[in-house]
Amino acid sequence: MNLGVLLLCLTLWLLPGGLQAKADGICAKDAVAGDFCLETPAQRIVSLSPGATELLFSAGAGDQVLAVSAWSDYPEQAARLPQVGDSNRLDLEAIVALEPDLVVAWVDGNSRSQLDRLADLGIPVLWQAPRSFEDIAAAVTDLALLTGRRALGQERAKGFLQGIRDLADQYRDARPVWVFYQVWNQPLMTVNREELISKAIRLCGGVNIFADLPRLVPRVSVESVLAEDPEVIVTAGRGDSDRAWLAYWQQYPGMRAVAAGNLYLEPPSLLQRPTLRMLEGARHLCTTLEQARARL
Amino acid sequence: MPDFKTLRPLLWLALAGLLAMVVSVSLGSGPVNPADTVAVLTGAGTPLQQTLILELRLPRTLSAFATGGLLAVAGALMQVLLRNPLADPYVLGLSGGAAVGALLAMLAGVAGVLVSGSAFAGAMLATVLVFGLARGQGSWTPSRLLLTGVVIASGWGALITLILAMAPASRLPGMLYWLMGDLSHAGSPWPALLVLVLVCLVLFPLGRTLNVLARGPMQAAALGVDVRPLEWLIYLLASVLTATAVTLAGSVGFVGLVVPHMLRLVLGNDQRLILPACALAGGALLVLADALARVMIAPEQLPVGVITALLGVPTFLYLLYRSGR
Repeated sequence: MNLGVLLLCLTLWLLPGGLQAKADGICAKDAVAGDFCLETPAQRIVSLSPGATELLFSAGAGDQVLAVSAWSDYPEQAARLPQVGDSNRLDLEAIVALEPDLVVAWVDGNSRSQLDRLADLGIPVLWQAPRSFEDIAAAVTDLALLTGRRALGQERAKGFLQGIRDLADQYRDARPVWVFYQVWNQPLMTVNREELISKAIRLCGGVNIFADLPRLVPRVSVESVLAEDPEVIVTAGRGDSDRAWLAYWQQYPGMRAVAAGNLYLEPPSLLQRPTLRMLEGARHLCTTLEQARARL
Repeated sequence: MPDFKTLRPLLWLALAGLLAMVVSVSLGSGPVNPADTVAVLTGAGTPLQQTLILELRLPRTLSAFATGGLLAVAGALMQVLLRNPLADPYVLGLSGGAAVGALLAMLAGVAGVLVSGSAFAGAMLATVLVFGLARGQGSWTPSRLLLTGVVIASGWGALITLILAMAPASRLPGMLYWLMGDLSHAGSPWPALLVLVLVCLVLFPLGRTLNVLARGPMQAAALGVDVRPLEWLIYLLASVLTATAVTLAGSVGFVGLVVPHMLRLVLGNDQRLILPACALAGGALLVLADALARVMIAPEQLPVGVITALLGVPTFLYLLYRSGR
C-alpha cells in the first residue's frame, strides 16, 4: 500500500461522523445538532408545534402522527389528534408514554432544556427552524424523507418553491409600496426583514418600513409609524378584534395609508406559520398589495 | 402656613417638572426638534408635527407626570401609615389585585377601556378585602394591616403567575408589559391629574396631624389626634391614588418606594412639604424615565418601569451615602 492510498483512507476516516451514518440510515438537517439520522422511517411521530404538524401532513406523514401540540388546527384531521400540551408547556410524560420514534420540535417555540430530557431518554428529537421559503421547502423534504416518502416530499417542495418564484417574477417590476405590518396592538409590534412575513411582503413588491430593526419581532411606537408614514397597513390576526386594530389608525387621516383607505386584514393563519400554506398567504398578500397600489 | 423659605424647594421641583415635560415633548422618533415643539404649541407646524406632539407626546407626558405623582404621594402616605420604611403603594396587594383584573381582561381577549376598568375594579376589590380582613374581630394595628396586606399580595402574586402560565403565547407580551408598567396605551391623563390635585388639597390641612402621626400613634393620641379614623382616611386616600395610577399605566415600580425616601433625605420629614414635593418629584422622574424609554433604542420601545429603577437606584444610593457622613 503506497502513501497516497494510506492518506486517502485516513481522510475518509476523519470525515465527519454524519457521512458514515448516512451510509446505513436516513439523514436530515437538524437546526441544533446539524445532522439527524434514523435507521428506519419513523412510524410513531409527535409534533410539538402547529407549524410542524402542518409540515408533517404536507409531507404525507399525517397517518404516522400520534399526537400534536395545542393549537394544531390544520389540517382538520390534525385537530382531532390527542394533544400533549402547549408548545412551551409540554406534558413530557404523555410524550414518553406514546413511545414515539420521532419528535419534531421548533427552535423558536419549544424549550431546549425540556426536550433535552426526551433526548436523554433515547427519543429522537428533530429540531427545525424554518426562517425562509427555502427552509420551508427543505423542512418538508426532510420530514418526507424521514417518514419514507422521499419523492412526495421533493415534489411538494418543488411545487412550493415554483409558486414562490412565479410570484417573485410577477411582482419584480411592480411599483414598491411602503408597508407597515402589525403583529399585535398592545404593545404595538411588527417584524424585521428576517421574519417570513417580511419576506412575503418583499416578494409582492412591498417594502417593510421596519425591515432594518435588529430584533425579529420589535416593539415600536405609534409615533415611529406616523413618522415612517406607510402607504399600506396590514395585519393578519384572529378575528374581529383586529378590525379594531386597523380602525385605530383612522384617527390619523394624514397618514398615506389611511388617506388611501389602505388598511387590510389578511386571512388568519396563512401568513403566521412557516408552512406550505405560506404560498397561499403570499398570493393573497400580493393581491392585497396590488389593490393597494391601485389606490395610491 | 409655611413661609417662602420652606416653599422654595417646591418651586424648584415644579420647575424641574416643567423642564422634564418640555424635554419629554421634544424627544421622540418623529421629525420634531425643540423649535418645532414651540411652533406647534403656538399653533403652527406641519400636520404631522401637530399630531405627534398634541395627540401622542403631550397626553403621554401628562399621563407619566400624573402616574409618578400619584405613586410617590401614595408611597409617602403608606410609609407614614405603616411606619415602615419598606412600605410602598403596592405593599398591601393593591397592584396585585389590579394586575389580576387587567390580566383576566386580556386573557378574555378584550382591550382598551375594559382592561383599565377591570384593573381599577381589581384594585378596589383588593382595597376592600384588606380593609375588611385587617379589621377582623378585635382591634387592629398597622402591623396587622401590613400582615394582612402582604399575605393577600402573595395570593395575588400566585394568581398572576397562574394566569401567565395559562395564557396563550401570543398574549404574553401584552401581559408582561402591563406588569412592568407601560405608558404607551395610557388613556386621557385628565382624570388622574384631577385625582392627584384633589388628594393633595385634602391632605394639605392634614399635614401637621400627619407629622404627629409619623412620630407614633401613642404620641399622636396623647396630643389629641383621633388616630383610627385618620389612619383609615390615609389608607383610603393612598388606595385611590394607587388604583388611579395603576389603571393608567400598569404597575410601574420603584417610584412609590424611593421618591419619598429621597425627598426625606434632602428636605427632612415634614409631611406638609414632603407630600406636595412627592407629587412634583415623582411626576418629574416618571416623565424623564418615560422619555428615555421612548428614545433609547427608538423606534423600538422599552417599558418605563425599567428606566425608573435604572435612574432611581444610583440617585437614591448617592443620597443615602451622602447623608450617612
